[in-house]
Order: sequence, then structure tokens, then C-alpha cells
Amino acid sequence: MSASEMSFEEMQEEIRNQLEKLQIEEDSLQEEMSTIMNQAPFLNEKIKSLKKLVPALKIIEHDAVGLVNTINDISDSSEKISGKIRLLDEARSRVQECQSRVCDLIDLEICSQGVQAAILDSDYEKGAAHVHRFLSMDQSLLQKTANDVENISNTLKSVRTLQDATSQLRALVEHKFNEAVRNEDLVSIERFFKIFPLLGIHEVGITEFCTYLRGKVSLTAEKNLKTAITTPISDKRYNIIFADTLTLLFEGLAKVIDIHQPLLETYYGPGRLFSAVNILQKECDVQVRRIFNEWMKCRQINKKMQQISEISRIGPNSSFSKLERIDPKDLDILIGEITFMHYRSELYIRFIQRKVMADIEIGILDSQKKEECINAFSQALNNSELTQLKHELLSHYLRLEQYFMEESINKAVAMDSVDSSQQTSSMVDDTFFIVRKCIRRSISSGNLDGICAIINTACRVLENDFCDVLRSKLRQGYPSGYLDLTQAYNVLQSSIQQGRLQSGDTEQSRTAFIVALNNADSCIEYVDALCEGVLKEIENALPGMNSNEHGKLESCLSGLSSVTSNLKEIIEYGIQQLRSSVIKPRVNPWVDAFLNISHQFTEEELSVYEAGETFVQTLIMNLESLLSSFKDMLTVANYDAFVGALTTEVTQRLEKVILKSSFNGLGGLILDKEVRSLASYITAATSWSVRDKFARLTQIATVLNLEQVSEIADYWGNHDGALTWRLTPSELRSFLLLRTDFKPDDVKRLKL
Amino acid sequence: MHCDQVSKDRQIENFVKPYEMCCTPYYKLDFSEVTRKLCRDKNSRNEIVANLKVCKIIIVGDVSVGKTSIVNRFCRKMFDSSYKSTIGVDFEMECFEILGIPYNLQIWDTAGQERFKSIAQSYYRNSHVVVVVFDLSKSETLSNTRKWFLDAMHTCGDMLPYVFLVGTKKDLLGGFAYKNAELSAVNVAKSINAEYWPVSSKNGENIDSLFARIAVLTFDDCVKNELLRPREIYIGSNMISGKANRSDSKKNSKCTKC
Ligand SMILES: Nc1nc2c(ncn2[C@@H]2O[C@H](COP(=O)(O)OP(=O)(O)OP(=O)(O)O)[C@@H](O)[C@H]2O)c(=O)[nH]1
Ligand SMILES: [Mg+2]
Repeated sequence: MSASEMSFEEMQEEIRNQLEKLQIEEDSLQEEMSTIMNQAPFLNEKIKSLKKLVPALKIIEHDAVGLVNTINDISDSSEKISGKIRLLDEARSRVQECQSRVCDLIDLEICSQGVQAAILDSDYEKGAAHVHRFLSMDQSLLQKTANDVENISNTLKSVRTLQDATSQLRALVEHKFNEAVRNEDLVSIERFFKIFPLLGIHEVGITEFCTYLRGKVSLTAEKNLKTAITTPISDKRYNIIFADTLTLLFEGLAKVIDIHQPLLETYYGPGRLFSAVNILQKECDVQVRRIFNEWMKCRQINKKMQQISEISRIGPNSSFSKLERIDPKDLDILIGEITFMHYRSELYIRFIQRKVMADIEIGILDSQKKEECINAFSQALNNSELTQLKHELLSHYLRLEQYFMEESINKAVAMDSVDSSQQTSSMVDDTFFIVRKCIRRSISSGNLDGICAIINTACRVLENDFCDVLRSKLRQGYPSGYLDLTQAYNVLQSSIQQGRLQSGDTEQSRTAFIVALNNADSCIEYVDALCEGVLKEIENALPGMNSNEHGKLESCLSGLSSVTSNLKEIIEYGIQQLRSSVIKPRVNPWVDAFLNISHQFTEEELSVYEAGETFVQTLIMNLESLLSSFKDMLTVANYDAFVGALTTEVTQRLEKVILKSSFNGLGGLILDKEVRSLASYITAATSWSVRDKFARLTQIATVLNLEQVSEIADYWGNHDGALTWRLTPSELRSFLLLRTDFKPDDVKRLKL
Repeated sequence: MHCDQVSKDRQIENFVKPYEMCCTPYYKLDFSEVTRKLCRDKNSRNEIVANLKVCKIIIVGDVSVGKTSIVNRFCRKMFDSSYKSTIGVDFEMECFEILGIPYNLQIWDTAGQERFKSIAQSYYRNSHVVVVVFDLSKSETLSNTRKWFLDAMHTCGDMLPYVFLVGTKKDLLGGFAYKNAELSAVNVAKSINAEYWPVSSKNGENIDSLFARIAVLTFDDCVKNELLRPREIYIGSNMISGKANRSDSKKNSKCTKC
């Protein structure tokens, strides 16, 4: 809009506005100025006091400069002094070096004279001490010293004497040591063991000594194995005699290591346990292999493995009865022995790992060397026969345990029996007892991979074999007892012909069905408890699990949850069966009785109706009798599911018959009342909330119980009192139209 | 197990093709329409994220063919030329983000040595993918793949897994030698109905593509199965006869892989 087009009033208005704005601005400026003015005296005061400080600061500055100069002087002179000290230091270290070279020379003389005498006296300790002194001298420095002194030949002679003495003593001590071993002279063995390191031949000493120890271990082990083989079957420990033998071997070795480690550390220094253990491990490997071979032979492991793989190849349920099946019970003790053997091996491996690692940790300081040493050690341990055999034991264990679990569960299923006082049958308790036992046993092996494999197997067996049994039982169906006559006659005929007519035939199949349904439910609880319990037990048994191992374990355990979802599916399937064979045929006629009642009540008719037995009373009575016949048979959760299915059926059917009826105001009132009492009856019957299933029906009753069509506005729309409708607008209209006293035009005109 | 942040190279928007069209039994070349639609829609997305299963992959093959190396290259981007044989079974998790939805791979790296066989075997069941590995430079390891494959099929249960035949150490072979090895590998792949991939863990060739291919194939199935599930529950509580539909969905869960 241009200025010329503006009317005078508008311009005046504009100008007045501007003026007002300017005034406000002026006011605020005025205010700001006055605050600044107020501050002026205060600021002046500050400036004055600062001015007073200036002379004092000048003095301080002057003093500071003086101080700097003094400090500089001091530092100069101290620099001079420290230079002198440095010189002194250097001189002193030269003197020291000189002294030590002189000492070396003197010692060299003494040693070279003493060593021969000592050897002649058979005083090996003394001789070795001389050699040790000689070896501790820096040999190249010795050479230099020899060049510096006048009496070259003398020095060199001493050196040569000592070198000769060293090799002479080395040979001598080795020889003496072997002699002592031959004579079983323990005192001399220990005596010469201590001399090796003085002569600078630590490795030889360790080798000699450990070879000696090895021999002793071997003797004991052989004796033990012989005893094991000749143990009579009647012996109490016959069944775990090889585990015992293995334990003896490991305990013996552990004792040898424990006793000699301090000796080794004192005389050889730390960081040498690895070499010692390496030699002992060779004997361990030999003996373990022997025990293992005897065990294989005695327990007929190969034959058993062959049988098992044959059976699994042909399949568990084939009719090849010719095949000799191993009774799982007969394997029980053997499996126990294997886990025990495995656990012992695991423990011993952990023991030497702990010992050697600790020794390397304190004995080897260079970090690169340390890593190399650790790698070499774990490589050696991994490649040892002991480790290999441990893996083989685990492999045998797993195959036997898997067979044991499968066969035992098959047996539990085959021998399933129902006790009429129980809701479930024996196979559930039995199966989970077996699963738990197997998993526990795997935990006792102490190996995470073994545990995981058994958990996987348990998942497979439960999910396949076990769930299949439940499924096929439910697939047989629940005999409804509502056969028509011809059907009943045919069944009767064929039963007579097959000679298996029993009065309880249907009763039995009903029980079988209900028990299978309950079994599935109780399995869900068992699986949950199993998951939780097993996790805790494993965490206790393997306290050092890292996050990756935890992940591994949890992934395997989560396999059990897929068993749960399978079981839930099975239950759902069973409940649907009950719905179509039990609920539907009974409930439909009960609900259909609604159609026999006219819902166009006069006041009089209403009081007559309410005085008699109303529709809903009859219905509730019928439902009550149906529910009570199932209440004690079903588990709590199954009963709830049953009530849920019943509710769905009743409400849906009722909805249908309502659509076929017509109502006046009083009829609607009665319906609303009846729906309410039905809902509260069913709600009381179950621990679940069935309110939701009643939502539609309650709303239908509300609609039919309106005074006028327009009242629907109280319930429909976006205001506070509105309901969350389960009915579509068109459904709502069709229910409104059931009221004969509502004008169809009013209903059509409703805005929904 | 969940992944918080997925790196750029683990985000997939486009479907991954097989190494060669002629050596795969899986002709899927793009996400199916339903999958794309479900992943776009906000509501179904949340449902999928909440319910999507992990993809279970098991890797098998002879001793020292390079199984662990494949996993190390893929999960840690590293290669170690020294050999340490696997003991028992190793476990890794790796996360992709496909069409904006996080998708976990659970990888079970088994040991090739005979004495660990019973451990490995217990993992076949319910795995979505079996990767059979051989060494391109050692022909006998290729002949053994048939045995590994049969073993897996014997114990895997009802659910048929995707099968991949993977030749390793491609870097060791020259052009001509490789062509020869490939020829026999493709034959084996065809006979066991597997998808063939040559890889090198040393230089990383094809490793990421292989796992991406595995991820998209199984992801597509899993999402489609999510679509089937809620309907199943609906059927259960409604008037429509439950039985017929139930057996339908059962069949579905058998032939699709999730
Ligand atoms: N040049 C080359 N070497 C490889 C490749 N992949 C693996 N190797 C080497 O092959 C050897 C064996 O590799 P692993 O991955 O440990 O073999 P594995 O199949 O896991 O063996 P097990 O666990 O015993 O069954 C190692 O020394 C690797 O460095 C490759 O792509 N190229
Ligand atoms: Mg490996």
C-alpha cells in the first residue's frame, strides 16, 4: 500500500504509534542513564584506592628483580659444584671398576688354586663355588685385564685352569648325579641337583633331575595301572577304577611339582618351571595314554560306539529288533566315569597352567620373551597327548550321553502311566528328570563346549521326539460324546468286531487327550525352571566365563525357548480341538434358547419373566456344569485357556442371536442386565481377564438399552464420555435398528 | 544381544547377488515386495525389529581349510598366517542393518578335527545357513565337502538351511590353476545344490559380499515369516476354522528358512 492511498486517519494512527514507541524508548534510556550516574561515585572511590597502591607495587617490583639476580647467581655456582661432583663420580666408578678387576684377578688366582684342591678333596660344593665365581666374571673384561697387566701368562693360565676345571666339574657332577640315581641315594641326588646351577648348566640339571622324577612317576603309575586291571568286578570301586587310576597319576604329578617347585626356585631361580613341567608332561602323556587304552579295552568303548552309531543310522523307531540295543541304564555308570575322568584331566591341566603361568610372570621380565614363552607353553600343552585324550574323552562322553538321553526319554514315553489323582502323567516328570540329570552331568565335566552340546541335544529331543508325542496324542482328538445315532452304531459295530469294546473306551481317550494337554502345560513350567536353574549351576561351576563364552551359553539356552513356543502351539491346538468338539456343540443350543424369548416386553410380561428362571440364569447354570466338569481335570493355565475359548464362543454366538431378535426399550434393558451378569459370572470363573472378550457384547447391550436414538451422542465422538468402540458405524446402525421403537429414519440420519 | 551402532559397510539397501548366476540354486535377486513394504511401514517395522530372529550360521569343513580365518576376516578385519586349530566351537555375533532394520548373524565356527565332531553336530539343528568350506589349493578338501554336506543334512532337522560352498585361499592360485579348481568346485556345488563362492581371507576378496549375500537371503525369509505369524494368532482366536490354516502355516515354516 503506498502512502498516497493511506487515509489521514491511518497516517495519524501510525504517527501516534511511532510517538508512543519513541516515548517508551526515551524512558528506558533515561532509566539506564540514571543507573550509570548512580554508579559514578562508587567507581571514583575505586580509582582512588587503586592509585594508592601504585607506590607499593613499585617497591615489590624492585625486590623481585633483586631476587631473580640472586637466584641466577646460586644456580651458576651450583652448576659449577655439580660439574665437580660429576667428575668425582666418574673417578670413583673408575676406581670401583679397577678394584673389581683387581678383585677378579685376586679371586681368579684363589679360585684357580682352590678349584683343583676342592676337586681332589671331592668337595664339589667348594669347587663349584669357585667355578661359579669364575663364571660370574665378565669373560671379555678378563681378557682385557689380562692384556693390561704385566704378568699375562699367569692370568691366562689361571683362566685356562678354571675353564678346564669347569668342564671337568660339569662332567663329574653329571656322573655323580647319575650314580646317585642308580643307588637311589636321595641325599646325593639333592646334593648334586643343587650344584648344577653353580656350574652354569641349569637346563642340564633340570633335565637330569626331572628325568629322575619321571622315572619315579612311571614306576608308581605302572603299579597303579596293574592294580586297576586286576581289580575284581566285585570291588566297590570297579566301576570307576580307571578314573581312580587317572586321579592317582595326576595327584602324584601335582605332588611332585608342588614339592620340587620351591627347590627349583631357590637354586635355579624363577622362570624355569616350564622346562621342568615339559619333561614331566612327557611321562604324563605316556601314562595317560596307557590308562586310556586299557580303559577303552576294558569298558568295550569301541563296540559300544559302533552299536550306538548303528542304531542312530537306522533310526530309533525302526523294527530292526535284531540289533542289540544297549539299555541306557547300563551306560549310566560308564558315563559317570567318563565325566569324572574328563573333569580330572581338566583340573590337572588347569593346575599346571596356573603354576607355570605364575612362574613365568615373576621369572621372565622382558615382555616379548614372556609372550614367546607363554605361546610356547600353551602350544606344547595343546599338542600334548593329555589334551588330545581329554578331547577324545569328551567326544565319547557326548555320544554316550546323547544316546542315553534319547533312549531314556523314549523309554519314559513308552512306559507313560496316568495316575488318576494327577493332572499330568509320569512321562513329564521322568523326561525332565532325565534332561536335568544329563545337563548336570555335562556340567560336572567342567567343559563349556560339552555343556552347550548337551543343552543343544536336550532342545532337539524335547522339540522333536517329545513334542511329537504330545502332538500326536492331541491329534487323536477329544471324543465329543455328541455322536449321532448312526455314527454311534457304526463305532459300536466295529469295536465289537475288533473285540475291543470297552465301556471306558471314549472315557480313556478323553483322559489321554486332557492329560496330553496338561502335560504340555506343565512342560512349559519345567522348561522355564530348567533354563533358570541350569544357568545358575553353570555360572557356579565355571566362574571365570568371559563375555563371549556367556554369549555362547545363552545362545544355546535360548534354544530351549523355542521348545516353549512349540509347546504353546500344541496347547493352542488342543484348546481349539476342545472348542470344536466340546464347547461348540453344547454352547450353541444353550445360547440359541435366546430366540425363544420375545424381547418386546410389557411391564407385566417383564415381571413375569423376571419372576421365573431367566435366560441368563439357565445359561449360567449350564456353563457352570460344563466348567465344573473341566475345572479339576485341567491345569490352572489350561483351564483359563478353556474358559477363554468358551467365552469367545458364547459371546460370538450371542451376538448372532441378538441380530436375529428385536427389542423394545424394556427388552434392551433386560439384555443389558443379562450381559452384565454373564460377564461378571465368567470374570469370576477365571484368573485371566476376559473383560476384553466381552467388549463388543457390552457395547451392543448399551446400544440396545438407549432411551432415544440421539443418546448415542453421549457415547460416540471425541469427548470425555465417549467409548472406544469395537463396533463399526454400520454395525452400530444395524443394532440400533433392532429396536422396534426407534425410527429407522432417525438411525439413518445419525452422523457417525 | 543387540548392536547399538552399525558401521556404514554393514548397512544394506540393495539386494546382494550371488557370485555367479550359474552356480546358485537360489534365484532370488531382490527383496520381495512384502519385505520392502513391511520395512517401510512404521508400525510393521517396530514389530519386525522386536521379533526378528537371529540368523544362525554354521561353518564346517576339513581341518585347516581356513574356516576360522574367514570369520576373523569378516568380524575383526584381520588375518593371521599362523595356524591355531579351533577347539570345540567358536562363537561370534555380527550385526547388519538391512533396509534400516538391525539384523544379527550368529556364527558358529566349528573345528575340523574328527574328535570335535559330536560338538559340531549338535549345532546343525535349526541353523539357517550351512557354509561348507574347502581349500581351493587342496583338491581332497573339495571331495570331502560332500561328506560334510550329508552330515549337515542328516542332522539339521525339518528346516532346510541355505547351503554355501566356499573355496578359500584364492590368493594362492594363479589364473590357470584357479580356473581348473573352479571347474570342479562348480560341479560339486551343483551336485549338492549349494551356492558357490571363492574367497581369500588373506586379502579379503569376496568375504564381505558372501556374508552380505547370506544376510539378505535369510533376512527376506525372516521378515516374510513375521508377516505370517500374527495372522496365525488371529486365526486361533477367531471363527474361521483353525485347523486348515494351521497346517498351512506349518508347511510354510518348513519350506521357508526362518
Ligand atoms: N594364503 C592364505 N592362507 C590362508 C587363507 N585362509 C586361511 N589361511 C591359512 O590356513 C591356515 C588354517 O586356517 P584356519 O582358519 O585356522 O583353519 P580352520 O579351517 O579354522 O582349521 P580348524 O579350526 O582346525 O578346523 C592358517 O595358517 C591360515 O593362515 C587364505 O585365504 N589365504
Ligand atoms: Mg578353525
